[in-house]
Amino acid sequence: MEVDNMMTKKTALLAIFSLAILLTIVYFGKMDPARGGVRETRETKIQGRVVSQYGPLENARVRVPGEDRYALTDRQGMFELSTNLPPGGKFRITAGKEGWFNNVQITSLPGPMGDIFLNPVYLNDRAGYRFISPVTCASCHVELTRYWDRSKMAHTSSNPMVLDMLYGTDPFNRQGIQPGYRLDNPESGGNCITCHAPSAAAAEGQSRDLKTILQSPMTEWDGISCDYCHKVRKVLTDRTKPSGTGAILERQTAERGSSILVFGPYDDVVAPPMAASYNPLFADAKFCSTCHNHFRKLDRKQSWEPAKVYTSSEWEGLKMEDESFLPIQTTFQEWQQWQRELPYNDANKGKKCQDCHMGWRKEMLPYDNYVVDGMARRMWGTYRSPQDIRPHHFDGGTEIQLKTALSMELEGEITGKKLDMTVYITNTNGGHWVPTGEPMRSVMLLLRVFDSKGNTLRMIKGSKLPPWAGEGNPEQGNYGGLPGAVFAKILQDKEGNNHVPFWRATRIASDTRIRPKKTVTLRFEFALNDPEDEPTAEAELIYRPVVRPLAKKKQWPVKDILMTSKVW
Amino acid sequence: MSHQFLTISIAFLLLLSVPFQALAGSITGKISVKGLRSPANVLVYVTKAPGLSADLSNVKFTMDQKNLTFVPHILPVLVGSTVHFPNDDQVAHNVFSLSRAKKFNLGSYKPGTTKTVLFDKPGIVELRCDVHAEMSAYIMVMKNPYWAVSDAKGSFKIPDPVYLDQHGIKGVPDLPPGKYVIKTWHEKLKTAKKVVEVSGKGETAFRLDLKRGNPSVLYK
Repeated sequence: MEVDNMMTKKTALLAIFSLAILLTIVYFGKMDPARGGVRETRETKIQGRVVSQYGPLENARVRVPGEDRYALTDRQGMFELSTNLPPGGKFRITAGKEGWFNNVQITSLPGPMGDIFLNPVYLNDRAGYRFISPVTCASCHVELTRYWDRSKMAHTSSNPMVLDMLYGTDPFNRQGIQPGYRLDNPESGGNCITCHAPSAAAAEGQSRDLKTILQSPMTEWDGISCDYCHKVRKVLTDRTKPSGTGAILERQTAERGSSILVFGPYDDVVAPPMAASYNPLFADAKFCSTCHNHFRKLDRKQSWEPAKVYTSSEWEGLKMEDESFLPIQTTFQEWQQWQRELPYNDANKGKKCQDCHMGWRKEMLPYDNYVVDGMARRMWGTYRSPQDIRPHHFDGGTEIQLKTALSMELEGEITGKKLDMTVYITNTNGGHWVPTGEPMRSVMLLLRVFDSKGNTLRMIKGSKLPPWAGEGNPEQGNYGGLPGAVFAKILQDKEGNNHVPFWRATRIASDTRIRPKKTVTLRFEFALNDPEDEPTAEAELIYRPVVRPLAKKKQWPVKDILMTSKVW
Repeated sequence: MSHQFLTISIAFLLLLSVPFQALAGSITGKISVKGLRSPANVLVYVTKAPGLSADLSNVKFTMDQKNLTFVPHILPVLVGSTVHFPNDDQVAHNVFSLSRAKKFNLGSYKPGTTKTVLFDKPGIVELRCDVHAEMSAYIMVMKNPYWAVSDAKGSFKIPDPVYLDQHGIKGVPDLPPGKYVIKTWHEKLKTAKKVVEVSGKGETAFRLDLKRGNPSVLYK
């Protein structure tokens, strides 16, 4: 009996306790118990005005920070913003406009709202400005900088292959190992740092030596640093730059206080010490064109014949001024041309560099870990949908990207004592030609056909891999002479040597790289010893970061990456 | 009189059905693998068998997108089926395929949205997401309903009553007696091929040992 009484008391106490918790939640959380605890949301309209010292501001973007919906101001600077904020409490409403610092106003709902005042970003680039070290940025943006630091983008100035190509060295630091820009041009420093160490180039000029940059204690000089990119106001055509475009910087502190001007894609970031300014350029592929295209202007009166390599529309799309220009790295133009030729209703229309190279990766999940992190979470964190976040891993030419960049299908047909093999290779995920970027890269198709006893079948018809795919034991990656094909851009000098460095190149010998979403069809014929036998075909697509002759000369320990393989 | 006629008719029909039952069989088996942790998710299928002329409008296959992953990784469907592609993630996805068996591009679409695609040609359809390089999956468009996906122990049964029922495929009879070529497909296992004879006396059982390697095409 006593046990029963105790149980009844316990149950009653538990019930009272649960009810108290429920009522507390309902009272403080303004939840509706009849709707199963769902917060009551009702569309509310917030009206207000965005102004500056010069008067009302038109086309400013106004929103509740982190929300997708935003309103644009009219000529009188007025806006009407729809939101699902619950009534009661105070809320932040932000405004941003290109060329102005973002700002915020606190409002109560319902109730009148004060004006949001924006300050202009005056054009006042200061050449003596010292860029902020990424170490500083990392104290708040922990995940963003961690992934950036692991990317190639963070180490462009210390890339050993870049240094070897510039100074004519090898990984053992032996001197005089061709090719080397300084070996061929002892009087010229080159302008590599324009892209490989842009903070240093902006501070000290583009002829600054790459080695001295590496030896410098200025951590902001290594790689393409946070503060460099986030100081870019505009990208303009500039033929004095190796890429033909130039970043226009705005190196300055904000008008008030010691805040640092930071351009970015958000119009709702108001978080000192950053003085954030909305800049749509950050969501535009044009931003990447500052470095991801590279041409060479041939010496006076020299020209080459692009029509032997490219169709007229391809050549037009590469946007070289005339035939005295040699396209070296044209990733941006390849993408631009692909986009331009797509019909307006194509599902790929509007895809840009940032979509693929700044997208989410599985290892970053759960999403909330990356949304706001470190100090920022404790201090000014704005919840933002993962959809609106660009992780800074800058994947490109990495195994993750390469595994799905191309796809391959095999079809075979036996006719008498002959096997016809068709190989279809498609550029599935590349929004540019594959491989892209530095012309020392190549993709190889390797096709092996054998009978049911494992004997290799003789190829009667079809292409073979060229000698530069490696001569010697195939087990060691030497595929020259084997059935297959290669996809690469080959630079040639005036003596007819292939795979020369860009500064020696006078023409493009061939460019067989695979265009975006296009399929290359290759046909092969093999002799069958026994028409009744069932042969097997194995095909591999292999990415080689550096063509073998160059890797051998330089003794670079580069590894092939298997992109995909198929069996028929 | 009519009652007697009905009884005789039913008895006759029952008699007729007995030999048909006995003259059809299913294939069961077990898979063991070398180089993989589990013998699960291996597609085992009959290369040539009678197709199914059934209404597939109520059949529902789903390829979900969640946490930057297609779920399931491999989805066998019967030719003529429609597959639903819900986006149950927190970011937009763009499912597409440039495979010869089915080319499509669903464009970028937001979480909470579902799109559908009809798969009308047999073969392997490699799925990709245009903005997330890590995402890939396969839709295996099968010529006939005689396939199974091995369970955690490597066991399978063709036709697979559970799988067919789950997706609303009805009216799949057992295989008529005869010799059949059985093949396997798994992304990381070499395709195995075996000829089995269905006797019509119930189940035909066999065992398959698979090794790590590349699978072959679905139909040569």
